[in-house]
Amino acid sequence: MGIFKKLWWFFYKQKRRYLIGILFLFLTALSNLIIPRAIGQFADWANQRQLTAGHLGQLLGIILAAGLGQYIFRYAWRNQIWGGAADLERQLRSQLFWHYLNMDDTFFQRHRIGDLMARCTNDITAVQNVAGIGILTFADSIITGGTTIIAMILFVDWKLTLIAIIPLPFLALMAAVLGRLLHQRFAQAQAAFSQLSNKTQESMTGIKVIKTLGQETEDIADFNQQVDRTIAINRQVNFIDALFDPTTGFIIGLTFVITILYGSHLILQQVITIGQLIAFVGYINNLVWPMFAIGRLFNVLERGNASYDRIQSILHEPSLIAEHPNANLSLNRPDLDFNIQSFTYPDGQQPVLSKVQFTLPFGQTLGIVGRVGSGKSTIVKLLLRRFDQYQGLIKIGGHDIRSYSLDTLLQTIGYVPQTSFLFSTTVQNNIRFGDYATNQQQVQKAAQLGDIDQDIQNLTDGYQTLVGERGISLSGGQKQRVSIARALVKQPQILILDDSTSAVDAKTEVEITHNLRTNAPKQSTIIISQRLRSVMDADQIIVLEAGQIIQRGKHVDLIQQPGWYADMWQRQQMNY
Amino acid sequence: METTQQKYQSLTTKEQLHIVHRLLGFAAQYRQSFLLSMVAVLVQSVMNMLLPRFLQHYMDTYLVRTTLAEKIIIVSAAFYLLGVIIRSAAQFTTTFAFNMGSEYMLESLRRALFAKLHRLGMSYFDRTPAGSIVSRVNNDTASIADFMQVFLSGMVGIFAIVTAFIAMWLTDRTAALAVLAFLPLLILSIWVYSKYSSSAYRYMRQKLSEINTRISETIQGIEIIQNFRQQPRIRQEFEQTNQEYLQSRRSMIKINSLLLSPIVNLLYTLALIAALYVLGLHTHLGLLQAGMIYAFTTYISQFFNPITNMMDNLSFFQDGVVAGYRSFKILDSQEYGPQQTVADNTPCITAGAIEFRHVSFAYPNGPEVLHDISFKVPAGASLGIVGHTGSGKSTLINIMLRFYEYGQGQILIDGHDLRQIPQAQLRQKIGLVLQDSYLFYGDINFNIRLYNQNISDRQIQAAAQLVDADEFIQQLPQQYQTVINPGGSSLSAGQRQLISFARTIAADPKILVLDEATANIDTETEDLIQASLKRMQQGRTTIAIAHRLSTIKHANHILVLDQGRIVEYGTHQSLLQQRGKYYELYKLQEQDAI
Repeated sequence: MGIFKKLWWFFYKQKRRYLIGILFLFLTALSNLIIPRAIGQFADWANQRQLTAGHLGQLLGIILAAGLGQYIFRYAWRNQIWGGAADLERQLRSQLFWHYLNMDDTFFQRHRIGDLMARCTNDITAVQNVAGIGILTFADSIITGGTTIIAMILFVDWKLTLIAIIPLPFLALMAAVLGRLLHQRFAQAQAAFSQLSNKTQESMTGIKVIKTLGQETEDIADFNQQVDRTIAINRQVNFIDALFDPTTGFIIGLTFVITILYGSHLILQQVITIGQLIAFVGYINNLVWPMFAIGRLFNVLERGNASYDRIQSILHEPSLIAEHPNANLSLNRPDLDFNIQSFTYPDGQQPVLSKVQFTLPFGQTLGIVGRVGSGKSTIVKLLLRRFDQYQGLIKIGGHDIRSYSLDTLLQTIGYVPQTSFLFSTTVQNNIRFGDYATNQQQVQKAAQLGDIDQDIQNLTDGYQTLVGERGISLSGGQKQRVSIARALVKQPQILILDDSTSAVDAKTEVEITHNLRTNAPKQSTIIISQRLRSVMDADQIIVLEAGQIIQRGKHVDLIQQPGWYADMWQRQQMNY
Repeated sequence: METTQQKYQSLTTKEQLHIVHRLLGFAAQYRQSFLLSMVAVLVQSVMNMLLPRFLQHYMDTYLVRTTLAEKIIIVSAAFYLLGVIIRSAAQFTTTFAFNMGSEYMLESLRRALFAKLHRLGMSYFDRTPAGSIVSRVNNDTASIADFMQVFLSGMVGIFAIVTAFIAMWLTDRTAALAVLAFLPLLILSIWVYSKYSSSAYRYMRQKLSEINTRISETIQGIEIIQNFRQQPRIRQEFEQTNQEYLQSRRSMIKINSLLLSPIVNLLYTLALIAALYVLGLHTHLGLLQAGMIYAFTTYISQFFNPITNMMDNLSFFQDGVVAGYRSFKILDSQEYGPQQTVADNTPCITAGAIEFRHVSFAYPNGPEVLHDISFKVPAGASLGIVGHTGSGKSTLINIMLRFYEYGQGQILIDGHDLRQIPQAQLRQKIGLVLQDSYLFYGDINFNIRLYNQNISDRQIQAAAQLVDADEFIQQLPQQYQTVINPGGSSLSAGQRQLISFARTIAADPKILVLDEATANIDTETEDLIQASLKRMQQGRTTIAIAHRLSTIKHANHILVLDQGRIVEYGTHQSLLQQRGKYYELYKLQEQDAI
């Protein structure tokens, strides 16, 4: 029940809609009482030979009114209550999405994408069920159950009512127990299906390997085994699922049996008429749904509660990225002054950077090299303010980077990451991702600088070709060059290339570097690379090892010094 | 890619019927389950006829008397209870037997698809994304299970309606006809509902799919979104789709509220009124008894009850037909891989000498990719193949491994025609080294031997030692029993490659075919891999496709391909001296190193 309290903010805001819905539920329940009574009355009049044309007209008229009323009332409450649930769904999704947009790196490391998606799909569905079917079953079971039992007591006999409804709570119990069992088994079936999917995915993606080793038969045998397991689990699901209706029918049957036993006595004692008995039996049928609903109610509330808690816990996680008030500085031809004494990741044990210091005057190029995991990309993360807590100071244009607004700072920096992610939209939109107002001319100019313009024009729809997950897939090198164009189109004052040419061949890399130097407006450049060849022409190069600078200087100097740089240079030479 | 609806609308009625017919053919294998279900539903429906009749008889015969023996009351109640128990048992059997039959049917379809897929040639897999294949085998078959529900609810519904009508007819003919008059209206409302709801339903699912794609993409590209400060725009775009989805749900709710169960209820009420009117008229003609009224009105409910359920399931029909269509396309495919002409396992490959004689190849309906290729590789020697993208390098490998059938010419291994060597021999003696390592879910032992039980644990270790993987494997917590999660990154890229090398070597092939990747890896990993490759090549014949000349500099011979033709052939030194294509390539790569 606690979940109703937790969602009270929503129900209160939507009180008008829910009150109207419940009102119409009530009216539906009332009109439901009319038909069994009318049939009972009809039977009695027929038995007593009192069925005149007038009586007949009256009865049929009332039934017609009840039927039409029901139709209208049902439409009304369905609209209100299901509509309310849909609204809640939209709101929760909105909240989660905006929250995701503003979260920091550590958040996305803590939560796998599958989990984050599940919050937005399964969990939201479970919560909106509370506002939909949850409210419905809660209100309806009380309203319909209550009014029907009152009608049974009023129109027939209270003793018969009490005795006959004894089996009905078992209906609720059965619904609850079977419901929970079904849910568990169903979760197992989902898991089995997932496994089968994974197996298929694996075999189809690795088909070349399987074919080369000539192991098709064995792979098929393995698949068949998993299918056998799936069948066994689905059998359990089917078994429980098939139990619902028969058990309901049986329990209602028991009610009828009791009614026959005791009701017969009442008729013989002339306490009630046969018509009343017929009405009574009709009312019992009315009670089936409310009883069943109560059983389901607990499941719906329980699941909704658990899901709501999960959603709330995610929404309450704070982001490490923060803006600071003094945010109206602007940047023009800034120098960069990087001085980090020590930086450790929020959930890390060891410092990832120690005593890293360098200065980059505007317009110059800095090369950062070093082994995998030496801290190169971390420097960039700090520049981009993905983490703000460290010992030291990063100054840009003479001020602490944290004193600029994120908008200003990130407008100034053009970052090309290691792995290039393209969105499911046109090439044009991907390149001008930072500002859709950019015109085609500017987009093309940036593409030319990144040496990708020609490739794009060779695509079937040119710049309007759809790429990304739902579009055509570009080669690794092409994706990187689009990424470069994307960073260049906003004419950044500091350009950071983080191993961005790893999939690009040597000739093209030279082209791009040349373009940047001659045709782009003046900017500072930071190049991080595995290939020393890429940073050869930099104004200064720093070599990182385990988060510290072990060498620095120009290329010509570094190849003379005995050390990592010279070593690596030799080895990379030999590979060609 | 076309949507399900588009596909459905593109199928003619004849095609649809044919698909349904074939699907039912799959079901026929398990006809016992379905027959049992049908018998059970018959029992269930008959009980539904008998139980109200029984009460009618009880009321009109006994309850009208002034006194009644206790025994009669108890016996009647007992009979009724018995009837209820029989009906419940039948009801359970109907659903369970049918659903199990349906489950067996769909699993047998899955098995058939998977087995068929393994018989198809690489040409199918090269042009079909793995994701869509998985969809066929897993998701489409699930649609077919839902499709069978249409038949279940249809069967139950039709039996219920027919027996209810028979019961009504036996009770009072005119009144029964009065109720029957509403059947056309029912059918009309079903038709109207399915028309409006199916397109609304599809639109709703499409919007939901859009929402999920947006969320997934946002999470994957979150760094870029944040670095480019695009949160407000992305949010706005999302809100629009979110709102559209809400609208579509509201439409769906409206349609269901207007046309689904409420309208069936209304028609029921109208039918009830009509029947009561007819029955009421009869009081002037004769006796009208309460019990009969009870029974009749109960039959009217039973007539209308199943309709809502049937309507609910209608939407599954369309999806099922399209799923069937797609599944049969795979089952009917003739796109098999090249076949061998010999079936037994007489060993033919002993030394591993390779010869190509005037081999040509063109893709079906395509231009010629390889033209008049001839060369020899003696046993134990190595051949490097270079050339620009599109020169035909990969095709050569695809042909050698019998992934694609070549056109003219002959390929000989140890003097035997490639087409006549038994499949098992080929697979065992020729090993493919892909530098895009592919690992399976399982432990390292499994990844190296896969399903080949002939490879012992010791052989696995020997293979790992050869490729220099044993060292790091011994460092792992469970050594060779460490489970690999292909999606995760607990192993470095280099380590993963070494494991797949071990897999190739464990089978002890005589011939190695090496397909080099184009992306650069970090230098340390590069060195490790190059060293392992060298060791793997000892004592084996090797054909290597190279993008970087450094890999094949030391090959016994080098072949230069250009637009499908051999333009140069010789050793590294002799080719350099020729100052031809090879020389050009070499200079280009060397230049960048400086």
